[in-house]
Amino acid sequence: MTVSVGNDVLHVKGAHSFLLVASVGKAFPLCIETSCEEYIQGVHAGDLVVVSAPEAGPVEPALMLLELVRTYHLPLLVLPRDHPGSKRIPYVVSVGPAIQTRCSIVRGTHPEQHLICSSDELAGITLNGNGDGIEISPLSPTLTLERIKSRDNR
Amino acid sequence: MCSVGGPTDIDLPEDRVAGKDYRCKECGERFKGIGKHPMCPSCQSEDVVQI
Repeated sequence: MTVSVGNDVLHVKGAHSFLLVASVGKAFPLCIETSCEEYIQGVHAGDLVVVSAPEAGPVEPALMLLELVRTYHLPLLVLPRDHPGSKRIPYVVSVGPAIQTRCSIVRGTHPEQHLICSSDELAGITLNGNGDGIEISPLSPTLTLERIKSRDNR
Repeated sequence: MCSVGGPTDIDLPEDRVAGKDYRCKECGERFKGIGKHPMCPSCQSEDVVQI
């Protein structure tokens, strides 16, 4: 299924978790900062920014996080494995042309941005930015989709 | 289920990241790029060469 939301944000809602998905409008270099290295990923128009909230929570901070990356191009900061601060941050981000949700991944096993941690109910979804919109496959009937207007369109 | 947290969903293990070294032909910036379409972090040029 392909959903066209333009510059808006697609809210994929499960019973206990959610994803926010949006398309990038303009190319930019995404900086990914680890404890000892900086990696640069070229992000292009039509690529996706995905925020996952595996334990749900409020949507507004997830929207802010999405726009911090999509609109303001803030770097992604990667904490070292087992950093004590990891458990306190409930949202995760991935950026790329195609992103898959996984609930069984172990952090550190997917070094590039094509995977994102999700809840069980949202696992196994592939999100593609195909130019016409956001392609979601498969889309379980237990999930609901909602379009959230981006701040630029409010 | 994987745990929640961290500013990104990834913990990049330094010895497994397939980063390649590039130099920007526009501004001379050197950087480590990942993905299929590297882009200079300084001038946003895609005219880069692997070194």
